[in-house]
Amino acid sequence: MMYRILKVELFKLFREAKTWYAIVAVLIIEFIIFFAAYYQGKTILELLLDNLRQSFYFEGNLLNGNLLLYIVLNSLWFNLPLILMIVSSALITEEYKTGTLKTLMLQAVSKKKLIIAKYISSLIFTIFILCLLMLTSFLLAYGIFGDGDLVVYLGTLNFFPAEDAFSRILLAFISGTLSMIFFTSVSITLGIILKEPTKTWIASALFLILSSLFIKADFGRFGDYFFPKLTNSWQCFFAYDLDILSILQENILLLAYTILFAVVGIYKFNKTDIG
Amino acid sequence: MILEATNLTKTYKSGKAVDAISLKLKIGLIYGVLGRNGAGKTTLFKILCNLVTADHGSLKIHSTKLKPIGAIIENPGLYTYLNAYENLKVFAEIQNAPRDKTRLEQYLKTVGLPLDRKDAVRHFSMGMKQRLAIAIALLNDPEIVILDEPFSGLDPMGVSDLIRLIKSLAAKNKSVLISSHMLAELQNCCDYLYVIDRGKLVNQGETTRLFNHSISRYKIKGNGVEQVKNKLFKIIFAEKNSIDIECKATEISKILENLIQQGYQLTACIPQVTLKELLSLQPNDV
Repeated sequence: MMYRILKVELFKLFREAKTWYAIVAVLIIEFIIFFAAYYQGKTILELLLDNLRQSFYFEGNLLNGNLLLYIVLNSLWFNLPLILMIVSSALITEEYKTGTLKTLMLQAVSKKKLIIAKYISSLIFTIFILCLLMLTSFLLAYGIFGDGDLVVYLGTLNFFPAEDAFSRILLAFISGTLSMIFFTSVSITLGIILKEPTKTWIASALFLILSSLFIKADFGRFGDYFFPKLTNSWQCFFAYDLDILSILQENILLLAYTILFAVVGIYKFNKTDIG
Repeated sequence: MILEATNLTKTYKSGKAVDAISLKLKIGLIYGVLGRNGAGKTTLFKILCNLVTADHGSLKIHSTKLKPIGAIIENPGLYTYLNAYENLKVFAEIQNAPRDKTRLEQYLKTVGLPLDRKDAVRHFSMGMKQRLAIAIALLNDPEIVILDEPFSGLDPMGVSDLIRLIKSLAAKNKSVLISSHMLAELQNCCDYLYVIDRGKLVNQGETTRLFNHSISRYKIKGNGVEQVKNKLFKIIFAEKNSIDIECKATEISKILENLIQQGYQLTACIPQVTLKELLSLQPNDV
């Protein structure tokens, strides 16, 4: 039963025009990054590193595929989660709006299974988008800009040799995928509570903005367990001293938050009258 | 008895939407729920379909089917970016109903939808959407079909087609429950009527009996009939070749006889019933 509902949910998702608009939007953002880097990247990098050049000698090309991949990864701050939240929340809000949820609930379908299938569809879609982003950006980055050492500014300038940079970027993409899954889970729960698409988009954007603001805020020890900090775990792969255990713990905690938001949504959906 | 609802009550912040309504449905009959807009018809249907939980009351459905009720509540909720066949397939697959091509095409034929329409449902007329929604409601062969305001937005041809379809469903041993505020349509197809007002059941009975007891006005048409002078009835409106009169149902045959004897050539006698009259009718009157 669950498999069939999931199959139908995915079929509907990929037949909706807005899903394809979202995919195109993600690719456009990615291409703009590459386009800008190709034409202006070298000048900007020269300006940024001008002071350092007086004290250090840089070998090789710093505007390389690894730097470009790191810049693409930075779309995980706002652009990508916002697009994913809009598409995911529509899985439920559009059904409320068009009355199809009512039609679905008038069939022999379990309410709980239906909403779980929506969370799983959103998870599959998020992984699909991240894989697409990863694949296309890896191809373009290395194809156009080639390999090289990675320079990242995280309070201090951190330099990573090319072979180390690749594995860090790959792990950051995987950790970032988990952050995106968290945001999409939140957006479906918001959709269940608010029911209306526009209200849910605004609430999702607000959630995303507040999460971004809270990353910089100091919440003391509590901050280590607060989800805005956890959604930023992928950045920790670019710290000079890599603490894998700490990142893993943060990711497990974020997964727990993701499940918690989904459970709240499933409970609320089951308790709420349709229509 | 396929469905028994007893004392169903639902209260919202704005007040009682459904107030202790009881109804029973039998297989093979068409039931109508008549009431003004906002009388509580849709809320009642949502409770029957388990979309909304009643605060009080009980609902018993004597069926072993996976889907005992097929329904359309308010507007037909369809995936407008899919075509008719795809919509049917999606709703069939999600509940594991038989969904081979022949079976699904049969559903489309039953509701009178063309098989060659491959465009998205958003291009369909209201009547076609209504038909498709009925086809979806019929998936998994439910014993009860509930249609909320099915005549809204349909042209006269669409209304008569739908009435024909509703009658054919009852003939196939289904119990059909429809709501409307349109008297003529309900009178035309329902065997039994429930009249509700402000959430309460104010009247019920066989449609013919209920209407007969409510009729106090008739429109009589005939050559020069507007010139008639008599003391048997009260003329409340007159125009060329037509009069609206007020009288009891038991007196109408005598009046018509009298008019014919006076030499008028009558062409029609149409009973005039208003929703107000049906609502104000006392249950004991029926």
